[in-house]
Amino acid sequence: MSGSSRRGLFRDLAAAAARVAIPDEKPKEPARAPLLNDAELDRYSRQLLLPEFTEMAQLSLRDASVLVVGAGALGSPVAMYLAGAGVGRLGIADDDTVEVSNLHRQLLHFTPDVGTPKTESAASKLRFLNPEIIVEPYQVRVDEANAPGLVEGQDLVVDCSDSFATRYAVNKACCEAGIDLVEGGVVGWSGLVMTIVPGATACYRCAFPTEPADARSCAEAGVLGPAAGVIASLQALEALKFLTGVQPTLVDEFLSVDLATLDTIRVNVRRRADCPDCGDPC
Amino acid sequence: MVHTLDVTALRCPLTWVKTKLALERLQPGETLEVAVSGEAVESVPRSAREAGHAVAVEGSLVRIVRR
Repeated sequence: MSGSSRRGLFRDLAAAAARVAIPDEKPKEPARAPLLNDAELDRYSRQLLLPEFTEMAQLSLRDASVLVVGAGALGSPVAMYLAGAGVGRLGIADDDTVEVSNLHRQLLHFTPDVGTPKTESAASKLRFLNPEIIVEPYQVRVDEANAPGLVEGQDLVVDCSDSFATRYAVNKACCEAGIDLVEGGVVGWSGLVMTIVPGATACYRCAFPTEPADARSCAEAGVLGPAAGVIASLQALEALKFLTGVQPTLVDEFLSVDLATLDTIRVNVRRRADCPDCGDPC
Repeated sequence: MVHTLDVTALRCPLTWVKTKLALERLQPGETLEVAVSGEAVESVPRSAREAGHAVAVEGSLVRIVRR
Protein backbone atom coordinates (compact mmCIF):
# COMPACT_ATOMS: atom_id res chain seq x y z
CA MET A 1 0.00 0.00 0.00
CA SER A 2 1.47 3.35 -0.95
CA GLY A 3 1.75 6.19 1.53
CA SER A 4 -0.78 8.37 -0.35
CA SER A 5 -3.55 5.75 -0.23
CA ARG A 6 -2.90 5.24 3.48
CA ARG A 7 -3.37 8.96 3.97
CA GLY A 8 -6.62 8.69 2.01
CA LEU A 9 -7.80 5.88 4.25
CA PHE A 10 -7.00 7.89 7.40
CA ARG A 11 -8.85 10.87 5.93
CA ASP A 12 -11.94 8.74 5.24
CA LEU A 13 -11.83 7.25 8.75
CA ALA A 14 -11.51 10.71 10.28
CA ALA A 15 -14.45 11.96 8.24
CA ALA A 16 -16.58 8.96 9.28
CA ALA A 17 -15.71 9.55 12.95
CA ALA A 18 -16.62 13.20 12.60
CA ARG A 19 -19.98 12.31 11.07
CA VAL A 20 -20.77 10.09 14.06
CA ALA A 21 -19.66 12.76 16.52
CA ILE A 22 -21.49 15.59 14.72
CA PRO A 23 -24.65 14.24 13.05
CA ASP A 24 -25.70 15.83 9.80
CA GLU A 25 -28.01 18.74 10.38
CA LYS A 26 -31.56 17.84 9.36
CA PRO A 27 -32.69 19.28 6.06
CA LYS A 28 -34.76 22.44 6.34
CA GLU A 29 -37.56 23.83 4.27
CA PRO A 30 -39.91 26.77 4.69
CA ALA A 31 -43.14 25.96 6.57
CA ARG A 32 -46.09 25.66 4.21
CA ALA A 33 -47.82 28.97 3.69
CA PRO A 34 -51.27 29.28 5.28
CA LEU A 35 -54.28 28.89 3.01
CA LEU A 36 -55.66 32.14 4.42
CA ASN A 37 -54.18 35.27 2.87
CA ASP A 38 -52.49 38.02 4.91
CA ALA A 39 -55.62 40.21 4.91
CA GLU A 40 -57.67 37.33 6.30
CA LEU A 41 -55.04 36.52 8.93
CA ASP A 42 -55.18 40.14 10.06
CA ARG A 43 -58.99 40.43 9.98
CA TYR A 44 -59.60 37.18 11.85
CA SER A 45 -56.47 37.20 14.02
CA ARG A 46 -58.28 37.55 17.34
CA GLN A 47 -60.36 34.45 16.77
CA LEU A 48 -57.44 32.53 15.21
CA LEU A 49 -55.53 33.13 18.45
CA LEU A 50 -57.95 30.86 20.32
CA PRO A 51 -56.18 27.50 20.73
CA GLU A 52 -59.23 25.56 19.49
CA PHE A 53 -59.84 27.85 16.53
CA THR A 54 -57.61 26.44 13.78
CA GLU A 55 -57.04 27.60 10.23
CA MET A 56 -59.44 24.82 9.18
CA ALA A 57 -62.10 26.38 11.43
CA GLN A 58 -61.67 29.71 9.65
CA LEU A 59 -61.78 28.02 6.25
CA SER A 60 -64.99 26.24 7.32
CA LEU A 61 -66.55 29.65 7.96
CA ARG A 62 -65.29 30.98 4.62
CA ASP A 63 -66.91 28.03 2.83
CA ALA A 64 -70.19 28.25 4.76
CA SER A 65 -73.60 29.48 3.60
CA VAL A 66 -75.84 30.71 6.39
CA LEU A 67 -79.35 32.10 6.18
CA VAL A 68 -80.47 34.52 8.88
CA VAL A 69 -84.27 34.72 9.02
CA GLY A 70 -85.18 38.21 10.21
CA ALA A 71 -83.16 41.43 10.16
CA GLY A 72 -84.45 42.79 13.45
CA ALA A 73 -83.43 42.68 17.10
CA LEU A 74 -82.02 39.15 16.93
CA GLY A 75 -81.04 39.10 13.26
CA SER A 76 -78.96 42.28 13.45
CA PRO A 77 -76.36 41.08 15.98
CA VAL A 78 -76.42 37.54 14.57
CA ALA A 79 -75.71 38.76 11.03
CA MET A 80 -73.05 41.21 12.28
CA TYR A 81 -71.20 38.56 14.27
CA LEU A 82 -71.37 36.03 11.45
CA ALA A 83 -70.25 38.57 8.86
CA GLY A 84 -67.45 39.74 11.12
CA ALA A 85 -66.32 36.17 11.80
CA GLY A 86 -66.00 35.51 8.07
CA VAL A 87 -69.03 33.41 7.09
CA GLY A 88 -68.51 33.38 3.33
CA ARG A 89 -72.12 33.63 2.15
CA LEU A 90 -74.69 35.24 4.35
CA GLY A 91 -78.35 35.43 3.39
CA ILE A 92 -80.74 37.68 5.27
CA ALA A 93 -84.51 37.41 4.82
CA ASP A 94 -87.07 39.96 5.99
CA ASP A 95 -90.00 41.78 4.42
CA ASP A 96 -90.26 44.73 6.82
CA THR A 97 -89.13 48.29 6.41
CA VAL A 98 -87.18 50.12 9.10
CA GLU A 99 -89.32 52.02 11.62
CA VAL A 100 -88.07 54.51 14.18
CA SER A 101 -89.40 52.25 16.97
CA ASN A 102 -87.00 49.51 15.79
CA LEU A 103 -83.82 51.47 16.36
CA HIS A 104 -83.37 50.90 20.10
CA ARG A 105 -82.76 47.19 19.53
CA GLN A 106 -82.12 46.52 15.83
CA LEU A 107 -78.43 47.41 15.60
CA LEU A 108 -78.05 47.25 11.82
CA HIS A 109 -80.47 50.11 11.23
CA PHE A 110 -79.92 53.83 11.82
CA THR A 111 -82.26 56.83 11.80
CA PRO A 112 -81.63 57.72 8.11
CA ASP A 113 -82.68 54.15 7.21
CA VAL A 114 -86.27 54.67 8.43
CA GLY A 115 -88.59 53.71 5.58
CA THR A 116 -86.08 51.57 3.69
CA PRO A 117 -86.37 47.77 3.51
CA LYS A 118 -84.56 46.12 6.42
CA THR A 119 -82.74 43.68 4.14
CA GLU A 120 -81.35 46.57 2.08
CA SER A 121 -80.33 48.51 5.18
CA ALA A 122 -78.79 45.36 6.70
CA ALA A 123 -76.93 44.28 3.57
CA SER A 124 -75.28 47.67 3.09
CA LYS A 125 -73.95 47.70 6.68
CA LEU A 126 -72.82 44.08 6.52
CA ARG A 127 -70.88 44.77 3.31
CA PHE A 128 -69.11 47.64 5.07
CA LEU A 129 -68.40 45.38 8.02
CA ASN A 130 -66.82 42.69 5.88
CA PRO A 131 -66.31 43.29 2.14
CA GLU A 132 -64.71 39.85 1.82
CA ILE A 133 -68.03 38.01 2.11
CA ILE A 134 -71.15 37.70 -0.06
CA VAL A 135 -74.33 39.14 1.45
CA GLU A 136 -77.62 38.10 -0.15
CA PRO A 137 -80.75 40.03 0.89
CA TYR A 138 -84.13 38.31 0.43
CA GLN A 139 -86.99 40.79 0.65
CA VAL A 140 -89.65 38.25 1.63
CA ARG A 141 -91.74 37.23 4.61
CA VAL A 142 -90.65 33.67 5.30
CA ASP A 143 -93.60 31.28 5.35
CA GLU A 144 -94.35 27.63 4.75
CA ALA A 145 -94.50 28.15 0.99
CA ASN A 146 -91.12 29.84 0.48
CA ALA A 147 -89.11 28.43 3.41
CA PRO A 148 -88.04 25.22 1.59
CA GLY A 149 -86.57 27.23 -1.29
CA LEU A 150 -84.82 29.67 1.04
CA VAL A 151 -83.17 27.04 3.24
CA GLU A 152 -82.06 24.86 0.32
CA GLY A 153 -78.29 24.83 -0.09
CA GLN A 154 -77.60 26.45 3.27
CA ASP A 155 -75.18 24.91 5.74
CA LEU A 156 -77.04 26.47 8.63
CA VAL A 157 -80.13 28.57 9.26
CA VAL A 158 -80.37 30.97 12.19
CA ASP A 159 -83.99 31.77 12.94
CA CYS A 160 -84.31 35.31 14.25
CA SER A 161 -87.96 35.73 13.36
CA ASP A 162 -90.58 37.30 15.57
CA SER A 163 -93.53 34.95 15.12
CA PHE A 164 -94.38 31.38 15.94
CA ALA A 165 -95.79 30.85 12.43
CA THR A 166 -92.43 31.70 10.86
CA ARG A 167 -90.54 29.64 13.43
CA TYR A 168 -92.62 26.56 12.74
CA ALA A 169 -92.28 27.10 8.97
CA VAL A 170 -88.48 27.41 9.23
CA ASN A 171 -88.25 24.43 11.58
CA LYS A 172 -90.30 22.26 9.22
CA ALA A 173 -88.31 23.27 6.15
CA CYS A 174 -84.99 22.64 7.90
CA CYS A 175 -86.14 19.25 9.22
CA GLU A 176 -87.32 18.17 5.78
CA ALA A 177 -84.12 19.32 4.06
CA GLY A 178 -81.81 18.12 6.86
CA ILE A 179 -80.38 21.60 7.42
CA ASP A 180 -79.13 22.53 10.85
CA LEU A 181 -80.91 25.30 12.66
CA VAL A 182 -80.26 27.65 15.55
CA GLU A 183 -83.53 28.86 17.08
CA GLY A 184 -83.88 31.87 19.33
CA GLY A 185 -86.57 34.06 20.73
CA VAL A 186 -87.01 36.92 23.15
CA VAL A 187 -90.10 38.64 24.53
CA GLY A 188 -90.22 40.90 27.54
CA TRP A 189 -87.65 39.57 30.02
CA SER A 190 -87.47 36.01 28.80
CA GLY A 191 -85.45 34.46 26.03
CA LEU A 192 -84.42 31.06 24.77
CA VAL A 193 -81.86 29.47 22.49
CA MET A 194 -81.78 25.99 20.97
CA THR A 195 -79.71 24.25 18.29
CA ILE A 196 -81.29 21.58 16.11
CA VAL A 197 -79.60 18.86 14.07
CA PRO A 198 -82.48 17.37 12.05
CA GLY A 199 -82.79 13.62 12.32
CA ALA A 200 -80.40 13.50 15.27
CA THR A 201 -81.68 15.90 17.92
CA ALA A 202 -84.99 17.28 19.11
CA CYS A 203 -86.44 19.95 16.82
CA TYR A 204 -88.24 23.16 17.75
CA ARG A 205 -91.65 21.50 17.44
CA CYS A 206 -90.50 18.57 19.64
CA ALA A 207 -89.80 21.17 22.32
CA PHE A 208 -92.84 23.35 21.64
CA PRO A 209 -95.52 21.25 19.89
CA THR A 210 -98.02 24.10 19.77
CA GLU A 211 -97.90 27.86 19.96
CA PRO A 212 -98.44 29.03 23.56
CA ALA A 213 -101.97 30.36 24.03
CA ASP A 214 -100.64 33.50 25.71
CA ALA A 215 -97.88 34.18 23.16
CA ARG A 216 -97.12 37.88 22.97
CA SER A 217 -94.92 39.80 20.56
CA CYS A 218 -92.34 42.48 21.30
CA ALA A 219 -94.88 45.01 20.06
CA GLU A 220 -97.19 43.95 22.89
CA ALA A 221 -94.83 42.90 25.67
CA GLY A 222 -91.93 45.26 24.98
CA VAL A 223 -88.23 44.38 25.13
CA LEU A 224 -84.97 46.06 26.03
CA GLY A 225 -82.39 46.21 23.25
CA PRO A 226 -79.61 44.47 25.20
CA ALA A 227 -82.01 41.69 26.30
CA ALA A 228 -82.48 40.80 22.64
CA GLY A 229 -78.73 41.29 22.17
CA VAL A 230 -77.93 38.64 24.79
CA ILE A 231 -80.08 36.04 23.04
CA ALA A 232 -78.77 37.05 19.60
CA SER A 233 -75.19 36.75 20.85
CA LEU A 234 -75.91 33.25 22.13
CA GLN A 235 -77.42 32.32 18.75
CA ALA A 236 -74.36 33.67 16.90
CA LEU A 237 -72.09 31.80 19.30
CA GLU A 238 -73.99 28.57 18.69
CA ALA A 239 -73.76 29.15 14.93
CA LEU A 240 -69.99 29.68 15.04
CA LYS A 241 -69.47 26.66 17.29
CA PHE A 242 -71.60 24.55 14.98
CA LEU A 243 -69.91 25.69 11.75
CA THR A 244 -66.37 25.24 13.08
CA GLY A 245 -66.86 22.32 15.46
CA VAL A 246 -64.56 24.00 17.98
CA GLN A 247 -66.98 23.53 20.89
CA PRO A 248 -70.14 21.48 21.50
CA THR A 249 -73.51 23.05 20.79
CA LEU A 250 -76.77 23.23 22.71
CA VAL A 251 -78.70 20.24 21.33
CA ASP A 252 -81.47 18.12 22.84
CA GLU A 253 -82.06 20.94 25.28
CA PHE A 254 -82.84 24.61 25.22
CA LEU A 255 -81.39 27.39 27.28
CA SER A 256 -84.00 29.53 28.95
CA VAL A 257 -82.71 32.91 30.08
CA ASP A 258 -84.48 35.19 32.56
CA LEU A 259 -83.09 38.54 31.50
CA ALA A 260 -84.47 40.28 34.57
CA THR A 261 -82.68 38.09 37.13
CA LEU A 262 -80.01 36.67 34.77
CA ASP A 263 -80.98 33.15 35.86
CA THR A 264 -80.46 30.51 33.20
CA ILE A 265 -82.05 27.07 33.02
CA ARG A 266 -81.10 24.28 30.64
CA VAL A 267 -84.19 22.24 29.81
CA ASN A 268 -83.71 18.77 28.34
CA VAL A 269 -85.83 17.99 25.30
CA ARG A 270 -86.36 14.62 23.63
CA ARG A 271 -87.16 13.86 20.03
CA ARG A 272 -90.79 12.90 19.67
CA ALA A 273 -91.55 9.97 17.41
CA ASP A 274 -94.89 11.58 16.54
CA CYS A 275 -93.41 15.02 15.79
CA PRO A 276 -95.07 16.25 12.59
CA ASP A 277 -91.87 18.08 11.56
CA CYS A 278 -89.04 15.65 12.37
CA GLY A 279 -90.75 12.41 13.44
CA ASP A 280 -90.10 9.09 11.74
CA PRO A 281 -92.44 8.92 8.72
CA CYS A 282 -92.83 5.12 9.21
CA MET B 1 -37.52 17.60 8.50
CA VAL B 2 -37.13 20.98 10.15
CA HIS B 3 -39.51 23.67 8.93
CA THR B 4 -38.58 27.34 8.96
CA LEU B 5 -40.65 30.48 9.34
CA ASP B 6 -39.64 34.13 9.42
CA VAL B 7 -41.99 36.45 11.33
CA THR B 8 -39.54 39.32 11.79
CA ALA B 9 -41.58 41.57 9.49
CA LEU B 10 -44.79 41.04 11.51
CA ARG B 11 -46.16 42.58 14.68
CA CYS B 12 -47.82 40.83 17.61
CA PRO B 13 -50.17 39.04 17.64
CA LEU B 14 -49.74 38.15 13.94
CA THR B 15 -46.31 36.71 14.81
CA TRP B 16 -48.01 34.03 16.91
CA VAL B 17 -50.98 33.64 14.53
CA LYS B 18 -48.59 32.74 11.67
CA THR B 19 -46.55 30.48 13.96
CA LYS B 20 -49.68 28.75 15.30
CA LEU B 21 -51.02 28.11 11.80
CA ALA B 22 -47.64 26.76 10.63
CA LEU B 23 -47.54 24.42 13.64
CA GLU B 24 -51.06 23.17 12.84
CA ARG B 25 -49.73 21.85 9.54
CA LEU B 26 -46.80 19.90 11.07
CA GLN B 27 -46.89 16.34 12.36
CA PRO B 28 -46.40 15.82 16.10
CA GLY B 29 -42.67 15.71 16.85
CA GLU B 30 -41.70 17.85 13.86
CA THR B 31 -39.73 21.02 14.47
CA LEU B 32 -40.49 24.59 13.44
CA GLU B 33 -37.65 27.12 13.57
CA VAL B 34 -39.06 30.61 13.83
CA ALA B 35 -36.95 33.70 13.22
CA VAL B 36 -38.26 36.41 15.54
CA SER B 37 -37.48 40.00 16.48
CA GLY B 38 -38.73 42.64 18.89
CA GLU B 39 -41.38 41.61 21.39
CA ALA B 40 -41.94 38.33 19.53
CA VAL B 41 -38.64 37.13 21.06
CA GLU B 42 -40.61 36.93 24.31
CA SER B 43 -44.18 36.40 23.15
CA VAL B 44 -43.76 33.61 20.57
CA PRO B 45 -41.93 31.21 22.94
CA ARG B 46 -44.41 32.06 25.72
CA SER B 47 -47.44 31.35 23.51
CA ALA B 48 -45.83 28.15 22.20
CA ARG B 49 -45.18 26.91 25.73
CA GLU B 50 -48.76 27.79 26.77
CA ALA B 51 -49.99 25.73 23.82
CA GLY B 52 -48.06 22.77 25.18
CA HIS B 53 -45.20 22.60 22.67
CA ALA B 54 -41.52 22.01 23.60
CA VAL B 55 -39.60 25.25 23.05
CA ALA B 56 -35.92 26.23 22.91
CA VAL B 57 -34.75 29.77 22.28
CA GLU B 58 -31.35 30.62 20.78
CA GLY B 59 -31.10 34.37 20.42
CA SER B 60 -33.56 35.39 17.72
CA LEU B 61 -34.36 31.80 16.73
CA VAL B 62 -37.20 29.94 18.44
CA ARG B 63 -37.20 26.16 17.99
CA ILE B 64 -40.63 24.65 18.59
CA VAL B 65 -41.28 20.90 18.58
CA ARG B 66 -44.96 20.32 17.83
CA ARG B 67 -46.68 18.40 20.58
